[in-house]
Amino acid sequence: MSSVISEIRKDFIYNLILKGERADGRNFDQYREISIERDVIKKAEGSALVKLGSSQVLVGIKMQPGEPFPDSPNRGVIITNAELVPLASPTFEPGPPNEIGIELARVVDRGVRESKAVDLEALCIVPGKQVWIIFIDVHILDDCGNILDAASLGAIAALLTTKVPASKFGLGDDFILPVKDIPIATTAIEFNDVLMFDPDVDEETIANTKLTVITTANGDICGMQKSGTGVLKPEQIYRIVDIACEKAKEIREKFLEA
Amino acid sequence: MIDMDENDISFFKDGLRLDGRRTDQLRPIKIEVGVLARADGSCYIEMGGNKVIAAVYGPREVHPRHLQEVTRAIVRYRYNMASFSVEERKRPGPDRRSYELSKVSREALEPVILTSYFPRSVIDVFVEVLQADAGTRTAGINAAAVALVDAGIPMKSMISACAAGKVADTIVLDPMKEEDNFGQADLPIAMTPNGDITLLQMDGNLSPDEFHMAVEMAMKGARDIYEIQRRALVEKYSQLEAPTVEVKACE
Amino acid sequence: MDRKVVVPGDLLSEDAKKSGDGTYVKDGRVYSLLYGLANYRDKINVIPLAGKYIPAPGDNVVGVVKDITFSNWIVDINSPYDGLLHISEFPKRIDAQEMSKYLRIGSSIMTKVKDVDPTMKVELTLNDRKLGKITTGQVIEISHTRVPRLIGKGGSMIGMLKKEVNCNIFVGQNGRIWINGGADDMDLALRTIHLIEKEAHTNGLTDRIVAFLKKEKGARS
Repeated sequence: MSSVISEIRKDFIYNLILKGERADGRNFDQYREISIERDVIKKAEGSALVKLGSSQVLVGIKMQPGEPFPDSPNRGVIITNAELVPLASPTFEPGPPNEIGIELARVVDRGVRESKAVDLEALCIVPGKQVWIIFIDVHILDDCGNILDAASLGAIAALLTTKVPASKFGLGDDFILPVKDIPIATTAIEFNDVLMFDPDVDEETIANTKLTVITTANGDICGMQKSGTGVLKPEQIYRIVDIACEKAKEIREKFLEA
Repeated sequence: MIDMDENDISFFKDGLRLDGRRTDQLRPIKIEVGVLARADGSCYIEMGGNKVIAAVYGPREVHPRHLQEVTRAIVRYRYNMASFSVEERKRPGPDRRSYELSKVSREALEPVILTSYFPRSVIDVFVEVLQADAGTRTAGINAAAVALVDAGIPMKSMISACAAGKVADTIVLDPMKEEDNFGQADLPIAMTPNGDITLLQMDGNLSPDEFHMAVEMAMKGARDIYEIQRRALVEKYSQLEAPTVEVKACE
Repeated sequence: MDRKVVVPGDLLSEDAKKSGDGTYVKDGRVYSLLYGLANYRDKINVIPLAGKYIPAPGDNVVGVVKDITFSNWIVDINSPYDGLLHISEFPKRIDAQEMSKYLRIGSSIMTKVKDVDPTMKVELTLNDRKLGKITTGQVIEISHTRVPRLIGKGGSMIGMLKKEVNCNIFVGQNGRIWINGGADDMDLALRTIHLIEKEAHTNGLTDRIVAFLKKEKGARS
């Protein structure tokens, strides 16, 4: 939401919205075309390339044995990182992750963690000593808007293909990472009381407010994040949640459930 | 959220919470205005076991200069936890959590600040968590809002923040440490007095119905906190003595 | 006259026409934009109790030179925005090479805001008889929000003060005040100004200040 947009373009989008339209002809609650390609990186334990319209996000999973956290000695560890590399957008700059990248990684992490999607107890090797560490690394390749939903989708898709590399570390046979839930993040922007799902870059730029809702397979909410300097009315939030639940169900059924 | 000990801990006794509160009751709140001499505005807040101090500097010159905006002031918000504020010593300096909290907290306050009044300047908000007991981000936002007002920054309204949570399948207001650590969900919000939501985060697990209930409860909590914030500010000039207001919440 | 302490967002009136300084209108209602004292008259004005000085054309201010460039003195005026005093605004024609001979870094001046552009570029001038470099007396600083009270309605408070304490006083809108006079007189002026600052938001201030001066001067003689 930081790039500059010309007044003309802004007016154009605004006038479209008044007519109930979007620049690419979608309905307000319609997602762009989604494609998920799994296992694209052979060196990774799991991976997925997600295309959401023209946005492209690559997520790779690496795993290695390591120490558990003292407060959860019997559970594997999830570490999520996101890199907004400069090749993905003229507004991204090289250097350590900025607050946008950090927020993105933390919301992706929230979905995976809070939905309890990964059976972390199955990742204990020696209680209190050694557990599996899952590194979820999000690589944004092309930011054409709503990279958060794409990244979340990529994370769960990649986890679903992940094989735990036990033999590589002399810890027995490799096994499929046990995944118990499929959290889906859906993001909407608010602009003049219009709620638009899956915003593109221009739509993100004109809107001050974004709300991401992450839902689990049974329709519960497991994570939320409001982002941006605008405000939302409670009624708008409830509307977003209702639509988000529906959208998440569609996406989950279509792309992730075998 | 850690759920492994969920079953071992009982969160309620005789219908009340471990610290004796009802489910919809805030922890005691104390707010002091203008506690720092050098800052343009400041506020000290205690919300339950949280002790948080906020300072506002500005509007003032922007350094480095390339951050300047020609038509408005930029707002910076730095949430920082003192290394001694938590049980296990926290490594000093910002971590990823504090970057995120700083971002969403700034975005919780910016909607009401009239930044266009001060082109090319910066309004700096510094929040130091001295003692943490669940709900430091909401305590920080509450203190920061008061400090901004104390600094004389023109604003459309104040901002008040409060969290609701879920423990043992029950929605509770303003979770304390035990409820936050072993609870099933946490939902912090910030809002204007007329109910515009400026911060909303959630983690854990809530059904849509529970979510409604939690939002309503957190909003009611924020409204009560607003009254305490407002009173603290009005008191500062209503008498010439030291402006301290102590309120036992919700009684 | 009814005055009360308000905070931003406080509802002041249901009548949009009453909106005055320091207020805004939303959905036909008037709300406070500031932390200050609401003054209910024909219109409702909110007089700020805190905040930074923002320069406006015509304001007298007391500044301190903080830098010298090719043709400008850069002047700190106790504001987020520095003032620029161009060489041509000095009362006499001087050479750019000699600027620091007239005003050095650290020099205090009584100056006036000539112009402020929308990006908050602030131009100052010394072209007025009562303006110039400060060489004697002392400069004190109060919150700029108390300056209107110190000046009083139509200059009543400051006029009375100057006469009573027998000092020369230049009040900068930026809260910096130059005082010049005998040591005892300056001391009394200083204490009186701080009292006005402290009690600026209270009612019946003028009467209390008159009483204060009377008592202090009585004690001295």
